[in-house]
Amino acid sequence: MDKIIARKRWFFLFSLLITVPGLFFTLATPLSGGAIGLKFSIDYTGGTIWEFRPETPADPLVVQAAVASAGHEEATVTEAGTGFLIVRTKPLDLQIGKDQIDNAGAELQAIRDAVIAAVGPIAEEGSVSTVGPVISQDLTQQALVLVVLGSIGILLWMTYRFRNLRFGLAALTALLHDVIVTIGFFAIAGTVAGIEIDALFVTAMLTIIGFSVHDTIVVFDRIRENLVRHAGAPFGDIVNHSIVQTLGRSFNTTATVLITLLTLLVFAGGSIRTFVLALFVGILSGTYSSIFNASPLLVWWEERAQSRKAAAARTRTA
Amino acid sequence: MRRYTPYLILAIALLALAIDLLPNLSLPASGTAGGTRPIETKLGLDLRGGLRVEYQVQAVDGVKATAADLATIRDIIERRVNSTGVSEPLVQTQGTDRIVVELPGVSNPDAIRALLGTTGRLDLVPLPRDVYGYFDAATGQPKPGVKAVPTEGETLSDTELKALFSGDQIESSAVQIDQSGRRVVSFKLKSEGADLFATWTKANIGSYFAIVLDGAVKSAPYIQSAITGGEAQISGGGASGFAVDEATNLVTILKFGSLPFPIAEIGVTDVKATLGAAFLGQALFAGAVGILLVFLFMLLHYRVAGAVANIALLFYVVIVLALFRLIPVTLTLAGIAGFVLSIGMAVDANILIFERTKEELRIGKGIVPAVEAGFSRAWNSILDSNVSSLITAFILFYFGSSTIKGFALVLIIGVLCSLFTAITVTRLILRSVIVRKQFSSPYLYGVGKGDLDGLNREVARG
Repeated sequence: MDKIIARKRWFFLFSLLITVPGLFFTLATPLSGGAIGLKFSIDYTGGTIWEFRPETPADPLVVQAAVASAGHEEATVTEAGTGFLIVRTKPLDLQIGKDQIDNAGAELQAIRDAVIAAVGPIAEEGSVSTVGPVISQDLTQQALVLVVLGSIGILLWMTYRFRNLRFGLAALTALLHDVIVTIGFFAIAGTVAGIEIDALFVTAMLTIIGFSVHDTIVVFDRIRENLVRHAGAPFGDIVNHSIVQTLGRSFNTTATVLITLLTLLVFAGGSIRTFVLALFVGILSGTYSSIFNASPLLVWWEERAQSRKAAAARTRTA
Repeated sequence: MRRYTPYLILAIALLALAIDLLPNLSLPASGTAGGTRPIETKLGLDLRGGLRVEYQVQAVDGVKATAADLATIRDIIERRVNSTGVSEPLVQTQGTDRIVVELPGVSNPDAIRALLGTTGRLDLVPLPRDVYGYFDAATGQPKPGVKAVPTEGETLSDTELKALFSGDQIESSAVQIDQSGRRVVSFKLKSEGADLFATWTKANIGSYFAIVLDGAVKSAPYIQSAITGGEAQISGGGASGFAVDEATNLVTILKFGSLPFPIAEIGVTDVKATLGAAFLGQALFAGAVGILLVFLFMLLHYRVAGAVANIALLFYVVIVLALFRLIPVTLTLAGIAGFVLSIGMAVDANILIFERTKEELRIGKGIVPAVEAGFSRAWNSILDSNVSSLITAFILFYFGSSTIKGFALVLIIGVLCSLFTAITVTRLILRSVIVRKQFSSPYLYGVGKGDLDGLNREVARG
């Protein structure tokens, strides 16, 4: 416990180990044309998702063939548990204003007819959701704007509160670490398990940014306090001491938040599973980065500045 | 002031509890319409089921819709929605060219989409006098034809009838009072329509013509005199002319019968109510389990202080739910997740305070000064970290799309309320607890016996 700062290189190395593979998969997304890496939901790609439950359980491949026969070769069909099947196609039935609209929902009806012909009657329909290219473009831009603004907001706030750009930059590094870890996690999960990220994912990112910095603030506050109380002590010792003093709080807070997220992950379904999983990963990473990255980074920075000063002093005296 | 704080907090708690639990409460509705708005928990379409359609207004020949056009289109769509009889519809503009329609519990989404999405067509159709008769000015009596003049809501059965011109030729329309004090509806035509109307009215004084919206007759006045300047008045109703709502209705139809710009669907979601109900049940169960586990954690970890924090947390839940109903906040699945998450965050302030208190206890302070120091020393961190949450929540609220806004609002309300409950409420209860003798052992605040012994040795050595 008293060697957190002394072992900072190991902690930085661990951060590299958890960020680099995810980063690799993330960057592979555009390079592989989407074959590897992040899987985007229709929120970002545009398309239609239709959920239904046939009366007799059906093979997704049979349904896929039926949908293809209705003119949608691009369709994919997956199982959603509890007997539901999920059909994904390009955007269906988006009407553009005319004097009279006669055939609203005709494209989906054609698919529905083909499915019924192939696997029998449909017991229940869950939801139909269509996102056109206009919205998906909006959401993609919005995601970038949100993450950039969130990061800048935190940087400014931390710099203002601690009257020191180093504190702001160290906090920013820690939260970017969390963003990269979370995106990387989903890039790998997307490749391995086909888990998609949707519009709520970016909400999770910002929540992580806001929350991850809590831990950082608590440690930094303690550092500021201890700098006054133990004036003259080596900076590294003060930081190490501050981390140890606040460790109980960091663990306990993270524990309560993770408990609530875990119950949501286990019991709640639907559109928020990815969202909750993202929060879980991000907040876990946030606690690590606050303790083992942000504060050690301050020390590394301080030591580097001092050794430069010392070097400068040596050259002057020489 | 401090003497009254307990009563104030109690009053807030009771008020919040009443808002949470009493059915059939209502508030004066906002806006000029008057009336009341029931206080209720509003659920988003993902939880109650329903149809959500997002439209983008299309530019015509490079001309884009203005804000006024957008508002007009919104009004027209809202009228179309109201005509379907769907309860609690929501029609909103969004950004510079979007209109969002939310209709809970719709059973025929395709039919409604067909109705809402049409550009709409307003026609002015002359009714031939040999079929529909005419108004005989000499006798002052209508002269019936073989068919009755159509009344409002009828569709014109005669397919031979051709429109003289369409709604796009109507430049403006207004409710006016004529010389004899009757309420009339006037309209002004653009030059092409004015010419057509002049030619036809000159030859057909006394004939009827129908104002037809999307095939249904809205009004069928007769021609009193030739209308050559393109400006006409429609009179009707009783001795004082049209009733107010009748007149304004006709004006709206003449003015807005068809959308000034076509609209295109850019996103459609239709959630079946049963699916929504299942998600709601799961989310509520998850939330309840989550809260219970947090309660347990706090109790095991901080003992007496944890119990106090749990009371504050209950207080938090009651107040936040009351605010959700008052504001009202539309709860979506993401919103509920945000609320459950906020419970985990709300105890953060208490954990900070209690950990700090434990530290103070370990260095040998008495309970009372240790708790006070815990509160005052933790305050900086609590404020800084909550502000950082608020910064990201406000960015989400301001720049996010509607689902994201809902989540952000829940988070903002949660953070602000938790500042109040975790600090004011916890401190109030804790202050009255710690002065009692039976609650004076540090063990009751989560400090282990070994901790103190070790520390005492250290102090003794130092």
